[in-house]
This record gives sequence, C-alpha cells and structure tokens, in this order.
Amino acid sequence: MAELLIENLCKRFGPVRAIDDINIRVADGEFVTLLGPSGCGKSTTLGAIAGLDQPTSGRIRVGNRVYFDGEKGIFLPPERRNCGLVFQSYALWPHMTVYDNVVFPLTLRKVSTADRKRRVEESLALVEMERFQDRYPHQLSGGQQQRVALARTLVYQPEILLLDEPLSNLDAKLRDRARTWLAELRTRLGLTTIYVTHDQVEALALSDRIVVMNGGRVSQIGTPQDIYARPADSFVADFIGTTNFLSGDVVEAPHVNGRTLLRLADGQRVAIKSERRPAVGDKVTFAYRPEQIRLATNDEATIESSIIEAAVVSHSYIGGRWQIGLDVGGNQIRIETQDAISDRQLRLWLPLDGGILFTERTHA
Amino acid sequence: MSLNASSALGPAATDALPKPLPSRDTAIQYGTALLTIVLIAAPLIPVLYQSLLDRALYDSGQQFTLSNFGRLFRTEGFGLVIWNTFVFATLTTLISQTLGTLAAVLFGRTDMPGARLFGELFLWPIYLSALVLSFGWYTIYGPAGYLTLWMQAIFDGAPWNLYSLPGMAMIAGVSQAPVAYIYCMSSASITDPTLEEAARVAGAGTFRTLWRITLPLLLPAIAYSAVLNFTVGLELLAIPLVFGDPAGITVLTTFLYNNGVASARPDHGLVATAAVLMLAVVCVLVWLQGRLLGNTRRFVTLGGKATRPRPFRLDRLRWPLCLLSSVYIVATVVAPIGALLIRAFTSLLSPMVPLLDVLTFDNFVSMFEYPIYLRSIWNSFIVSTLGGALATALIGLIAIIVLRSDFRWRTPLHYAALFPRAVPGVVAGIGFFYAFAFVPGLGGLRNTIWILIVAFTMHFIPVGLGAVAPMLLQMSPDFDRAARVQGADWWTTSRRIVFPLLRPALVACFIILFVTFFKEYTTAIFLFAPGSEVIGTTLLQAWTQGEVGLVSALATLQVLVIGVCVTAARAIFGVKLYG
Repeated sequence: MAELLIENLCKRFGPVRAIDDINIRVADGEFVTLLGPSGCGKSTTLGAIAGLDQPTSGRIRVGNRVYFDGEKGIFLPPERRNCGLVFQSYALWPHMTVYDNVVFPLTLRKVSTADRKRRVEESLALVEMERFQDRYPHQLSGGQQQRVALARTLVYQPEILLLDEPLSNLDAKLRDRARTWLAELRTRLGLTTIYVTHDQVEALALSDRIVVMNGGRVSQIGTPQDIYARPADSFVADFIGTTNFLSGDVVEAPHVNGRTLLRLADGQRVAIKSERRPAVGDKVTFAYRPEQIRLATNDEATIESSIIEAAVVSHSYIGGRWQIGLDVGGNQIRIETQDAISDRQLRLWLPLDGGILFTERTHA
Repeated sequence: MSLNASSALGPAATDALPKPLPSRDTAIQYGTALLTIVLIAAPLIPVLYQSLLDRALYDSGQQFTLSNFGRLFRTEGFGLVIWNTFVFATLTTLISQTLGTLAAVLFGRTDMPGARLFGELFLWPIYLSALVLSFGWYTIYGPAGYLTLWMQAIFDGAPWNLYSLPGMAMIAGVSQAPVAYIYCMSSASITDPTLEEAARVAGAGTFRTLWRITLPLLLPAIAYSAVLNFTVGLELLAIPLVFGDPAGITVLTTFLYNNGVASARPDHGLVATAAVLMLAVVCVLVWLQGRLLGNTRRFVTLGGKATRPRPFRLDRLRWPLCLLSSVYIVATVVAPIGALLIRAFTSLLSPMVPLLDVLTFDNFVSMFEYPIYLRSIWNSFIVSTLGGALATALIGLIAIIVLRSDFRWRTPLHYAALFPRAVPGVVAGIGFFYAFAFVPGLGGLRNTIWILIVAFTMHFIPVGLGAVAPMLLQMSPDFDRAARVQGADWWTTSRRIVFPLLRPALVACFIILFVTFFKEYTTAIFLFAPGSEVIGTTLLQAWTQGEVGLVSALATLQVLVIGVCVTAARAIFGVKLYG
C-alpha cells in the first residue's frame, strides 16, 4: 500500500490529446474515483497507471517506485509494477477453475505450495466465494465472477488497487447490492484504490475524493460533498446530480457578503450568493439543484431569497412524485413536486445561497 | 462476512515480484521474426539473383546481366506460352465463378430438395489435389475413359476433349468453383435479409429479386474470388502437366517445369527470369485482392439481427433443378472420384468389360511391393505430421507476436508472413532448389524430406495464419492484460493464457496444414530426390510411366486419408477446412 502521484501526465494519439496534463495525488489508503463521460480519458489514465498504455510525457510514482517518467525514459512494463487491476470484463481465464485463476499470481511469485492454498482460500472467503473453487468462470453469475476477479487481485497484496467500471456489467438490482458490499470491503481493507466509473451515484457513495474528468483534463478534485455542493464549472454541475441552468446578466456586482443580483432574459431578477467576482453587465450562467427550488407559498421574497415566475411546459408522473417542466425566461428547467399541478403559471422560491454562479462561457 | 480482512491481507511483507527476465521476451520475438524472414527470403533471393546472372548461380565467374529478360521474350514460342496461360486462367475463372455463384444461390438460398447435401458434395474438389482430380477426370472422360468409350459405342465419338485449353479449364474451373461458392455463401450469410424481403414486399418476384438484389449484393464476393481463382489458374501445374503437355499446349508453369526440372541441361537464367515474371504478375494480383477486399465495405450490409434469410421458392422448378444439380454433381464430383476408386480395384475399366471380371487387389499389392511407393506414402505422413506440427508452432508464434505483443517490428512481420500468398508453388520450388544448391552446408538436407518440410512451411504460413488469426482477434485482450498486470511477462502470459485459449484454432491450423501438406505436389516436384519422394511426386512419376492402376491405388489412398481427416475434423471440432 502506498501513495500514488501523477504529475503532468499527457497521452497523445497524433493530434488528439487523450490525457492532457493531469496532476493527481492519492494518499496512502485513500479511495479516489476518476469520474467522467466516456472518452474523457479516465480509462486511459488507469491504463497508464497499470502500465497497459504508455503515456507521452509526465511522471507516475507509487510509493518510492517510479512507474513512468517521460523525461528520464522510464517505463516499467505492467508485470514489474505490482498493481492490482479488476477489469470491466473481469477477464477471468475461461480455461481455468476459480482456484486456478486465483492461484495464478501466487505461482508467478513462487509462493510455497502450502501458503498458496491457504491464501487462495482466505482471499476467496473475503469475497464469500470459497465454495466455488472448482467451478469454471462460465458456471458463475456476473456478480460471482466479479467477486472472483477481485479475489484474484487481492490475493497477491498489490501496492494499489485499480478498478475499471467493475459494476457496469451487472444489472441494476445486483449493482446496488455490489456497491454496498464494495463500500463495506473498502473500509475494511484500507487499500489505496483508484476507481474508474461514469456513474455518479457509485462515485458519490464510495469515494473519499472524486476526480471529475472532461476532455482529457481534470475539471475538479474534491470530496463528494464538495463536488456536489460547489462544482467548479458548469460541466461538473451538469454531470453530477440533476441541475437546472439559467442564464442572465449581472445587474449588481457581488457585495461584501457575496450577494449578486442577476437579470434573466425576460427581465426577472434573481439574487445569488457567489464567491466568484463577475462585473456588471457580464453574461453569466447560474444553476440550482432541483431540491433547492420550492414553490412559493406567498410573497416571501426577502434579502435571503428570490421569487420568479415560470410557465408550466409539461408534467409527468414518475412514481410517488411529479416532474414539472418549466420555462423561465427562455431557460428550460425541471423541478419535482409531491402533488399534481394544474396551474399554467408557477411562482418559484429560490434561496440566496442555494444557487451556483459560473462565470465561464458555458455549454449548458 | 465474519472473516477478518487482515488475515488475508495481513501486514506480511508483500511477495517478491517474479524475477524479471528482460531478454527472454525480446529473444523469442526477434528469433521468430528472423526465422520467418529467412524462411521467406530463402527461395526469393536466389531466384531474383539467378535472373540477373549470365550463368548458373553455382558456377564460377558469373557476371550480372539483364540479357535474360530479352532472351526470354525472344525464346521461340514464349509468346504462345503467355497467351495459353492467360486463356487458361481466364476460362478457369469464368467457369469457376459461374458454377460457384449458381451453386451458392441454388444450394444456399432456395428450397430445392437436397440442397444441403449438394452443397457438401460441391465442396469436395477443394479438399483434393488437382492432380488426383485430373486422374479422376482422365479415367472417366479421357480418350480411353469410361464415359468416352461408352459415348463412342453409341454415337460417333465423344463431344469433349480434355487435351485442349477449354477441356483443361473445365477441370480447373470445377475444382476451383468451391472457392467462389464459399465466398458467396459467407457474403450471403452477413447480408441483411430484409433487403430481399423489402424487394418482395414491393412486388418483385423470385427471379427479379434474385437478379436485382441478391446477385448485385454478391458482386464483391464474386469479384474477390475471381481474382483469387485467376491467380490459382496461373499457378496451376497439375492439369496442364497431365493434359496440356501431351497435346503440346504449354503454359507458364509447365514451361518452368520442363525447362527447370525435366530438362537435362536446364537454362537457369531463363527459368529464373520466367519465375520472376510470374512472381511479379501474382504480386500485382494479390495486391488487387487486398484492394478489392478493402472496398467491399461499400457493399457489405450489416443488419445487426442474426435472422436467417428466407429461402427462395422455386415452385415448379424445384425438381427439374434438383435433377440438373444431381447430374452436375455426379458428372463432376462423384463420377471422377468414384471411377478413380473403382479403377484402383480393377485391372481395367471399360464399359465393354463386365466389372466383376476385372476386380482385383493387384494394384495395391504391387503398390506395397515397390519400396518407392511405400517410401513416398511414409514420407508423406512424416512431412504432413511433423511438418504440420512444426509449421503450426511457428505460425502460432508469429500470430501472437503480430497480434498480441508490443514487438517493435510486428507490422512488417505481419506483411512478411503474409507474403508467400504472392509466391506461386513453382516459384517457391525453384527458389528453394537454388537456395539449397547455393548455400554451403545446406547440401546435406537436399536429399531429405527436411527440404520439403521447410518449403511447405514457407509456402503455407499465410494459410495457417488465416486459421489462427480470427480467433486471436476475437479473444479479449483483457485476458492477457490481466496476466501482465499480475506479474507475468509476455512469454509466461502467452504460454499460460493465450496458447491454451487458442488451442481450438491451433488444432484447426494443424489439420488444415496436415491435409494441405499431404496433397501438395507443386513445390515438391522441384525438390524431391530419390529417398525423399512423397505421394504427389510419385503419382506424377507413375503417371509418366503409364502405371494407371498404381496411380489410381495411390490416389485412392490419398483421397481416403484426406477424407477421414476432413470428416473427423468437421465432426469433432466443427473446423472449417478451407479459405
């Protein structure tokens, strides 16, 4: 178990930058998730750590060992790194039994015969698969295969554990169970773990910290709470959780306490608390999580909140709740309510510190 | 989960990683690549070298010259040789494409009775050597053939003559038609059947749909196999040797054979130059094959759903077409092979003599009395078994280096390994003959079967790769990556993971090579010596001596061995033994 350090890592395929200057430090025993849409570079990063992909430049170090250094021309082949990697496809060798699969890394390491059997059994017990030693992979369910793949990786005590979308091949129910089980296991093992996924729910539930990636770059690194409550940019806000985006321009620049007044396209005004410092007249985007938006009951607009008018565009029943589609000054937003809405027009209550202001040019 | 995690992953020091053997992977990869290059260059370089020399390459005092090329084209009759070669290859292609396409549609896509059985029988010529087929056709359609004599008794002579370009092309066309058939069938199996259904819904009848939809979609397959068959037509030696030579019709392959092997004082400059010419033409054709295959995407339609196309209804034509197909299969497959088998057990085969009067085992008895026959049978088995195994090992190594390693030269190696496709058997034969005559120290191998094993291996590397590569490409790279991450180097991964998973493909590769080596004769007749005869060369010798009975017996043996292998392989492994 060791600390992982990635510095200025780049990987180019011709003119395309699959990874573009990535810096990540993962502490000993930390569980860090690389999260992003497909093609964001998260799997390439994982491959670079494992030694399956050779980066173009940068440095990767685990503990005291340099895995890769572009400048010094160091590239350790995968077999010299002692990483543990659980593949999305599990990659259990179909011609070997569960026991043979798990004992393979121990055979390579010349572990004594007596120790081998004991350790395979312990490792399989850890994932509750000790009764299946003599089965072949094709005789196991997807969830069982995944556990064996994990046992095969844990049995040789790798320096760091790399998990490549391990839950994505399971069906929805099984995925929930496996996630709970994985969360429990990680607390007990305390291994330095890099977890790659495109599923924000997994990332939020399992990670100590999340690295959100987009287009080969790191968009934000932070704890799940951080990332959810204070997204660095509109991409992160959009990717994590459900987010309603509004656009407008700045009427009053931030006060000392951060209170900023914004104007929507239809002239309605919204107050928002922001740490960023836009100037008067700037075009900005701001966002609210659906749970921050409430229906206004009366004229309760205060210094701590705003009230805006919205036109109902659609409503659909989603089981227990209603999802209402609204138009606010040309922006499409969605909120959820307990009861059906018959009005054509709604008044929304927006808390001052429930919104997030972005100053960058945005995609949303 | 009562177990304490620390007991499994306790504080114990992590295991030592296996000791790295950094040079082993590299040594194996470079060694294999070097062996492959030497093997492929061995016949080519001497041929090219000889074509530029003014005398035999083992003589002393040679000088470089370009005069061989001029001399070749001034050689009397060489123009006719080129013309004959072209006509023969073109006619062969026309016949094989027509028959193959018709068969693919009729046996593969209609509700004709017995279509599956006909499809199986239609393939048989491809399993046998053209040499054996030639003898079969001779037995039934030759000047003293069973059917010819029968026709003569009723009419005034038979309307066919095998000793002519069309006659030879007929045999070659029938024996190559399975190639066109196979390509059309595999193209039809990946075509979206809804395309045809759409035409029918739009009101097109069976024949209009066939003509306007099905056949145009088969065009890429027909075109690709046409180039393939044209190439085979150029390279074919057996049929021109058996039927062309006695009639004075010379093609390029028989020109090379007569001037290179059969001649008492061979003109090596001329032979090598003709071989280079042939090599160049075939190279262009193979390049053209690659181009055609690359462009087929335009036609290939993938529907996604694996639905079987609905067979065309023939209605009233079902039985007439079935009858026609039966006549064809009997005339071209069953009768020639059957007659050959019967001839092996008789002293004479003629419609004038009752079969029972001439039944005998004498042919087989004398086959086992002469040591040369026994020796060639034995040699054939050794070459096929041992050679097949060695070639499979080499091909397996090449395949994993090319497709499953980060070897620096893997792409050039891939091209090199596929290059023998462009080397005709006669050219490989001449080339290895020169190589073993030229390189000091190799002379000792010259009169052994090793020279045949080496030449056959070189010539059929692409065939073997074709059997191994698809499975390797389908195998998830995660299997080897998982082993690498866990600490196995490339060679350990290959040995423990890749090869075991690849076993079915390697078995298929071995069987294909066994059958191919067993029936090979083209390369061998340039290379064999007393003591290293194989069935193919002995067949030709016996034929030249007029020993028809012995030829039939030996050919029967070959057909039986191949038949058993093919049937067993298809039954046990479901191996596809062609392509």
